[in-house]
Amino acid sequence: MGLTARVARAALAAWLLLPLVPLVLWAAADRWTAPAVLPQAWGTAGLRDAVDAGAGPASLRSTVLGLVVAVLATPLGAMAGRALATYRVPVGGAVLAALLSPLVLPPFAVALGLDVLLLRLRVPEPVGVFLLLTVAALPYTTVLMRAAYAAHDTGFEEEARTLGATARQAVFHVQLPLLAPALAGAAFLAFLVGWSDYVVTLLVGGGQLVTLPLLVASAASTVGNEAQVAVLSLSSVLPPLVLLVAVGLVGQRGRA
Amino acid sequence: MTSSGMLRLEELTRVHTAGQPPALDGFTLDVPAGSCVAVLGPSGSGKSTVLRLTAGLDAPTRGSVHLDGRDLTGVPPERRGMAMVFQRPLLFPHLSVRDNVAFADRVRGVPRRTARERAEEYLGLVALGGYGDRPARSLSGGQEQRVALARALAAEPRVLLLDEPFSALDTALRAEMHDLLTDLRVRLDPTVLLVTHDPAEADALADTVAVLDGGRLQQTGLLRELYTAPASLAVSRLLGGRTEVAGTVRDGVHSSPLGDLPLPGWVPDGPGVLVVRPEAVRVTAPGDPAADVTGTVVRVRRRGLRALVVVEVPGPGGVPVEAELGAGEELPAGRPVGLVLPVAARAVVPPATTSAPTGARPGTSRASVGGGPGRRRP
Repeated sequence: MGLTARVARAALAAWLLLPLVPLVLWAAADRWTAPAVLPQAWGTAGLRDAVDAGAGPASLRSTVLGLVVAVLATPLGAMAGRALATYRVPVGGAVLAALLSPLVLPPFAVALGLDVLLLRLRVPEPVGVFLLLTVAALPYTTVLMRAAYAAHDTGFEEEARTLGATARQAVFHVQLPLLAPALAGAAFLAFLVGWSDYVVTLLVGGGQLVTLPLLVASAASTVGNEAQVAVLSLSSVLPPLVLLVAVGLVGQRGRA
Repeated sequence: MTSSGMLRLEELTRVHTAGQPPALDGFTLDVPAGSCVAVLGPSGSGKSTVLRLTAGLDAPTRGSVHLDGRDLTGVPPERRGMAMVFQRPLLFPHLSVRDNVAFADRVRGVPRRTARERAEEYLGLVALGGYGDRPARSLSGGQEQRVALARALAAEPRVLLLDEPFSALDTALRAEMHDLLTDLRVRLDPTVLLVTHDPAEADALADTVAVLDGGRLQQTGLLRELYTAPASLAVSRLLGGRTEVAGTVRDGVHSSPLGDLPLPGWVPDGPGVLVVRPEAVRVTAPGDPAADVTGTVVRVRRRGLRALVVVEVPGPGGVPVEAELGAGEELPAGRPVGLVLPVAARAVVPPATTSAPTGARPGTSRASVGGGPGRRRP
């Protein structure tokens, strides 16, 4: 690796990690007032407050929400991406535009409008959240899987067929393993959509589904409990970071 | 290879887009059990289509594939008892070398242990014993193609399909792979259908050759026969023939600007193109009484140890005749020479049909395709 590349990598890492430094400091600060460069008193009050506010169950709910969205949006995105990349989908451009529309429309407006619809259809609130967030995650999974299928060499599956694999075996033994890095990436993005959502969870969930972002927002809207906010924020950041590393490892293995 | 099958392709036709000329048109071919037949053709001639239709990866518009007398129409690729090696090795990158070779057994439900043991045997056959643990991506091009071959053989196919499997390899590796395949044929006696654009490869590997051009079968037979008696201009050109002299045949004698040249066999009267392979032409002194024609060297083309000379014989526009010189022989351009065209080396093929109804470009070599395969043999 050249020197320039090293410097660039270090700068990028700093750009991503530096904002976390005050968070980490705040999370461990029992008292930190204005002129001091570092907290005057260290402690675990922030952590205690966060746990008292329900950080544990909220993390669990966020995790479940992220996982459900990933489980729903990844196969749907894979199928849509495959269709768009392999077959001649009539007006494929329009189909793609429709799938991308959740990215373009303001989520607040969409959530408000659909909330009314879901209420009239008597869809239970958590199910409504799952459904809407899956739709919101579809653009990411579809675009990613479309690119993956476009680059995928179907020769591998043809070879598998002539070696005696059924169409189904060719998909499960050859196509999916070859696409594993892309699938992991798509699932990660879909998980993030569910994990980090605020607007849809708040509006459609009607306050029943208290996830980590909701907790962070409510804690941050009051003053004086910076340590608790910091702990909550860190617990929102760390799981995706761990997942990202895991996905990166899967991707590396796929390329090795 | 438990049993090698007898393959018969019958009137195979594949039209990709309606209104366009078919990629393959009425292709019929027999591949006897245990033999190796090469389909030889330039790129775009439809030769890969032959393999895809045979393997069941594509369905023919018309015609059928028979294995040991059984019609395979509608039989999916995995139940045809064939295995294919493509030009790209297509080793599954997520599997080790051993598991690649064990793939066919695994998808058929053979226990992992047994499949891996058998894979080792097949890796040994292609001289890659001990490579089983390596990741598929760590191999060189030649090794990859060996593994691909081992993987196909481990499927114990009744017919082995080879789609230009050695074309991407350099000359030395290709020769090595030819030796390997010849060796495997002796040991396993597989039925092989090979597709190639390289006459030398067809010569090295196949018992018989079928020449395909423009989707139509031009000629089948031993390559030696095809060299001396091509059925059409397309065959002659594909096999490296360059000398083409238009003229007329009457009573077994070809008349052209080269003069009246008796032919070795019976040829129907009418217009015909005389083709002579450059290796058969002997260059002598211009005054040599044995010379059939005289002319002037106009171009010398170096080709390794032997040079190829183009001799222009006087006639309307000048008639070029190509001759290969002996090893180390030299002739400068401008030198007058005599040429001996041995009677046995003279072949006459039907002239290219320049006004084909299908709208073939006039005056090009492909125009002969529109007129159909010639059945005229000297």
